[in-house]
Amino acid sequence: MTAAAMLRMDPSVTPSSLLPAVARGEISAFEDLYDRYSSTLYALLIRILGSSEDAQEVLQETFVKAWTSAKMFDALRGSEVAWLISIARSRGIDRLRSRKIRNDREDEAGREISTVSGFVDRTSGADQAIQSEQRVAVRGALAELPDAQRQALELAYFEGLSQSEIAERLHEPLGTVKTRMQLGMKKLRDRLQAFR
Amino acid sequence: MNHDEFEAIAALDAVGAATADEARSLAAHAESCEACSRARDEYAEAATLLARGLDPVPPPAEVRERIAGIGEMSNDETSNVVDAEHRFSTWWLATAATLFLALWGWREIGIRVARERIATQQAEIRGLTEEKTRLAAQNEKLASMASPDTRTIALAGQEMSPSASARVFLDPTRRRAIVFFYNLPSNPTDKSYQLWIIRGDQPKPQSAGVFDVTASGNATLSIDNLPVMTEIQALAVTMETRGGADQPTEKKFYVMGGMS
Repeated sequence: MTAAAMLRMDPSVTPSSLLPAVARGEISAFEDLYDRYSSTLYALLIRILGSSEDAQEVLQETFVKAWTSAKMFDALRGSEVAWLISIARSRGIDRLRSRKIRNDREDEAGREISTVSGFVDRTSGADQAIQSEQRVAVRGALAELPDAQRQALELAYFEGLSQSEIAERLHEPLGTVKTRMQLGMKKLRDRLQAFR
Repeated sequence: MNHDEFEAIAALDAVGAATADEARSLAAHAESCEACSRARDEYAEAATLLARGLDPVPPPAEVRERIAGIGEMSNDETSNVVDAEHRFSTWWLATAATLFLALWGWREIGIRVARERIATQQAEIRGLTEEKTRLAAQNEKLASMASPDTRTIALAGQEMSPSASARVFLDPTRRRAIVFFYNLPSNPTDKSYQLWIIRGDQPKPQSAGVFDVTASGNATLSIDNLPVMTEIQALAVTMETRGGADQPTEKKFYVMGGMS
């Protein structure tokens, strides 16, 4: 058994949900929430927006939303990290679309992949170990998807493309694209239990 | 629409790929259907795996300072007011503090309401834009059928459904087609019909979409981004597990026809 798996089984070190405490206005819980998830959310926003400046702004918006709406979180509907990712992704795609409308989207080639200046990693050792092992497992699940299914899902999720835009981009019939995305999502849903 | 169809929409909605109409109908249905509501939540959670597989990128330290300030600011303002009351015990300071908090709260509510209104309007604009695009595409497809270049291909019923038929209106210039199916047997709720393009340049058939038939056995399917005409050898329909398959699992066809 790996260290991370052992940590998960020990309730004293298993990361518990922080949002109920955030909803009560506990600043320390809010800071812990940031330390636990900011690197995951920032990576997602960099992937969507390609710009560290925009990603930082949207990351800030995401945590403001988490602070003001923590009471809305319902653990029965999904996990804490999924709730935060959904907020970040939704705001990231909104920013991407408004940037497209202004026709000033940065050149893809100029994407900044990682900006780490002034970085202080405050994620706890237990959190890091668990997150790292989960990430490996998630990648394993994603690697099981056929390339065509994963590609269609990524175009929708990270670039906010519609079904018809994806079909156009991939030069495939719309029905084929829809089928691929549905099959891919079904596989991911089947694997979901392992990451809860 | 049945539960399986709503589940199929939920899968697309989780990655933001459902159309505005589909997302609206799913939201309305999920209000009263626990199974579809659970499926929607599970698909939404499953979609986040795409983000959770990325390498983490730590944000710069100053972002943490700005964000931590959000919580501290609101609590500090409250505690400052309490301290002031203890120190001075003057009614006017408490009144001023209350007034300040009320005004601050009012301003915050105003900003939040305005933001929510903007978000709602942006969502409506997106919905209308999608609807406009959909109608424009539909008009264009209908115009295609009237084009002098449009070819009509008849697909005949096969062993599985001899009385079935289909008619394909194929616009080679725009590489799109509309297919009308007639008299197909009703598909069970766990199955879908799937249209396949048999190509001369590829060994395996290519899916052109899945569909269900009405109670009278009819259906219509639009196909975009078709292969060029010379690559299409034939079109055929099989019945597959709901949602479709990567490749045909049945050897028996319901309707089929070749390019003449």
